[in-house]
Amino acid sequence: MPRYFFHLRHGPGPDGLARDPEGDDLTGPAEVRARALAVARDLIVRTRLHAVPDWFACAFEVTDAQGRPVMTVPFSDTVTEDDEA
Amino acid sequence: MPQPQQANVRNRLLRAMAPEDFARLQPHLETMAVQMREPMIAPDRPVEELFFVESGIVSITTGHDESRIEVGMVGREGLVGAAPVLLHADRTPHLHFVQVSGEVLSIGREPFCDAVEASAALRRLLLRYVHTVMIQAAQTAHAHAALGLEGRLARWLLMCHDRVDGDELTLTHEFLSMMLGVQRAGVTLTLQNLEGAGRIRAKRRRIEVLDREKLRALTNGSYGVPEAEYARLIEGR
Repeated sequence: MPRYFFHLRHGPGPDGLARDPEGDDLTGPAEVRARALAVARDLIVRTRLHAVPDWFACAFEVTDAQGRPVMTVPFSDTVTEDDEA
Repeated sequence: MPQPQQANVRNRLLRAMAPEDFARLQPHLETMAVQMREPMIAPDRPVEELFFVESGIVSITTGHDESRIEVGMVGREGLVGAAPVLLHADRTPHLHFVQVSGEVLSIGREPFCDAVEASAALRRLLLRYVHTVMIQAAQTAHAHAALGLEGRLARWLLMCHDRVDGDELTLTHEFLSMMLGVQRAGVTLTLQNLEGAGRIRAKRRRIEVLDREKLRALTNGSYGVPEAEYARLIEGR
């Protein structure tokens, strides 16, 4: 299974990106999006972080093992996902 | 291997006890190397052995698999298995496993209990230690409820730093996320912020503690309470 890295965009510029050094092994884009949304939901609901006043302004910028962009998943997509389903 | 001598052991409980109490335990102590992720006490099984930690760290966790969260941390200040055995509970629902590889002195439950039966002073010392374990768990509950992730992570790094030699901790973000019960992305982001503020230096699979006081300032008093109780009750400081 390919490995995907879920970098967390929480502000502008290079300081606003928390780079994921470890990654997750997933089957492909569908699973990447599902994982990103599940993690985002859990962060929104359960995690208080003073550095992030608004989780909905965040996004996962996902890359593959070569650092190529795979997709961007805004945390705000967690709200619409249920309607689409 | 020769039996450990009280002057040479690193475990703070063994060092703090009266020489005659150490002598009751000494013939039964066996030196053992323990490796990361090795289970020390399995949930809901009779505890047959206890472990005085000489180096490394043992985690006590509640829950199962995905929902596992750390509720206790034992290093060279402690005795793994103390609470269930001394409180006559025979077993515990919590998994105890090795978080940082190291060395322990193991002792069978029976010779351990015989020594405790024979010495009121030894029982008193060890029950005081159990008190500090309970305080630590209570402070962890407090930290989960009262602190943001910055404070909880800072507290956890301080507790870990207390129990290793040197300033470098070897751990993955995935492991930290499991211990703190939070998504890995939250850990990664928080480590980046702690690093930006000069509190730590984060490298791949390693975290170097740079400024304890700055970390402590984030914990809002939730770090240091069980540590102070231990110093007062066990070491008379």
